[in-house]
Amino acid sequence: MIVVPCPNCGPRNSSDLRNAGEVVPRPDPQTASLHEWRSYLYLRENPAGWVTETWYCRSGCRRYFTIERNTATNEIRDPGNS
Amino acid sequence: MYDLEFLSPVSSGPLSTPDGGLSLEDASASTKVLVRAARNTAAGAHLKVTYGRSRHRRDGTLICGSRPGEWTLLADPGRGAELVASLPDEGFVSVVDITHGRAMFRLSGADSIGVLAKVCNIDLADDMTPDGAVFSGSVAKVTCDLVRDDRDAGRSYLISCERSFGGYLFAAMADACAEFGINVPAGLSVH
Ligand SMILES: [Zn+2]
Repeated sequence: MIVVPCPNCGPRNSSDLRNAGEVVPRPDPQTASLHEWRSYLYLRENPAGWVTETWYCRSGCRRYFTIERNTATNEIRDPGNS
Repeated sequence: MYDLEFLSPVSSGPLSTPDGGLSLEDASASTKVLVRAARNTAAGAHLKVTYGRSRHRRDGTLICGSRPGEWTLLADPGRGAELVASLPDEGFVSVVDITHGRAMFRLSGADSIGVLAKVCNIDLADDMTPDGAVFSGSVAKVTCDLVRDDRDAGRSYLISCERSFGGYLFAAMADACAEFGINVPAGLSVH
């Protein structure tokens, strides 16, 4: 079990949330090339280590929030305190 | 829509232990109104409660802070139009009567905490979810909104979910109640 700290609901079992994946900056829709859209939509770093990712609190407050998680250890830290 | 007959997804009447110490009843017909409002609106100020808490308004309405910037108003059946009209609507505010879209049950009694603990992963201890607490989580694998709304007789929870899960969830709750002495009627089994 991974315990994920929701800023609104407090610590929750990860089964109450949905991992929305690595945070990837969205390109400007007016100027983005096909290559940039492909990177934004599909290409991920997926490191064995620290990653900044978005989670959706689907069983709680229904809000998206960002955390940093170590994918090798599941240690979690606030992006503001890293 | 306010003269629309309410159709509950639950066909069973109230269930209780012989001593009345634990009970499970369908409360789906209750009026349920969803309000989304920006913090600086008159509606937000009027509703007052913060996310995670609830209060009883003098007219009997239970106002629940169900999400950040979102409230659910619960009241006796047939009060939808009145509740919708009672809210100031200036600014960024949306008010929707969701009565027909949600099922709701009331689980009451000293053993209600034991029943709920079997099927819900939220900490139900008094210091985490005291009387008046509003919280959301999985109940028997269904995402539900819960309010701890104690009655004179003691501990009591309102549990609501999308209407289409209502029949299953009532049966699952009844099943969870069985070991505490509630007789589950034939036809209400989840097995
Ligand atoms: Zn949350």
